[in-house]
Amino acid sequence: MCLECGCNHPVPFGVKVLSVIAPGLLKPRVPDGPHTIEVHASLLAQNDDAAARNRARFASHGMLALNLLSSPGAGKTTLLSRTVDVFGHEQRCAVLVGDLETDNDARRIHRPHLPVVQITTGTACHLDAEMIARGLDTLSLDGVRVMFIENVGNLVCPAAFDLGETKRVVLLSATEGEDKPLKYPPIFKSADLVLLTKIDVADALGFDIATAVENIRRIAPQAELIQLSARSGEGMDEWHDFLRHHLPV
Amino acid sequence: MNLSRRSARPVLSTHNVHEVGIMESALALVARHAAGHGDRRVSRVVLRIGALAGVEIESLCFAFGVVSRGTVAEGADFEIEEVPVAVYCHGCHLEFAVETGGFIFTCPNCGDLCGEIRRGRELELSRIEMT
Ligand SMILES: [Zn+2]
Ligand SMILES: [Zn+2]
Repeated sequence: MCLECGCNHPVPFGVKVLSVIAPGLLKPRVPDGPHTIEVHASLLAQNDDAAARNRARFASHGMLALNLLSSPGAGKTTLLSRTVDVFGHEQRCAVLVGDLETDNDARRIHRPHLPVVQITTGTACHLDAEMIARGLDTLSLDGVRVMFIENVGNLVCPAAFDLGETKRVVLLSATEGEDKPLKYPPIFKSADLVLLTKIDVADALGFDIATAVENIRRIAPQAELIQLSARSGEGMDEWHDFLRHHLPV
Repeated sequence: MNLSRRSARPVLSTHNVHEVGIMESALALVARHAAGHGDRRVSRVVLRIGALAGVEIESLCFAFGVVSRGTVAEGADFEIEEVPVAVYCHGCHLEFAVETGGFIFTCPNCGDLCGEIRRGRELELSRIEMT
């Protein structure tokens, strides 16, 4: 008896299994023969369980938790620095930063009275829910209303990993291609909000905002969209309004 | 520099790291099942991978070769069932399939883009076979 599947499939002694598969022929044998176990288990089950626990924890603290995703250099750290400097005076914020060993984002965001913890992922290319849980253990969560989770700079790997966030925010910057949403559909399709960042330099770089917006609308029609520049301040009010609107009551 | 010799041996690069992690979860699950069946040798491992799962099939195959070494699944056949995206349009009560490669999900009936993704995010251990 297998404890995993609860099945009870001992092959009786002396019984010869007759079905034979030709080498290289990728066809299932007897579909539910004694040697086949239909598992149908999600490989993300452990992560999803941990994510559900994180979600409950955020909710119990009345906290809005945001998972921020982008390519490296799309401006997550600058956006967070500006956000905690302005919005952070209105609502208590905290930051979990997922860093490859070489990065220094946590130091850039560090402010007095702002709980920040750096999660060094080593070689891992994405944050997972258990890393978040361990990070939360090290933070003082009293009074924190908004938890920003800065994911590893990568538009592929983090897509499938639920961290227990309330909202998922994907950044596309004007320093990238307008067609990026078309190249990384899974992550854009999982977004609740897309931030088109660094719009102050769009003209200078020949970045066509209208085309980018059109691509985002077609790939991620489910997502809200805000255009902003953390540097010039344009659009930041709209971003802060988004945060206020989604604060748990 | 002997390029053919270099390319003959795949290198574990950052591009494969993600798939190696996924494969470690899959093979840990395989090992638990195999243990429940008297540690019989596994002859085939079948995963179900959705087109929106964010993993590369090629890297996953490579990862199987690397991660299965020294486990009950070493030498087993490795199969991937690819799951195409299926979208449901609530306006039309219509489920439509989306062919691989296209990611703009337009309802063929009303042209709406906001359908609900019903399949295509799968990342599952589907089946194992033992000798
Ligand atoms: Zn990854
Ligand atoms: Zn429709």
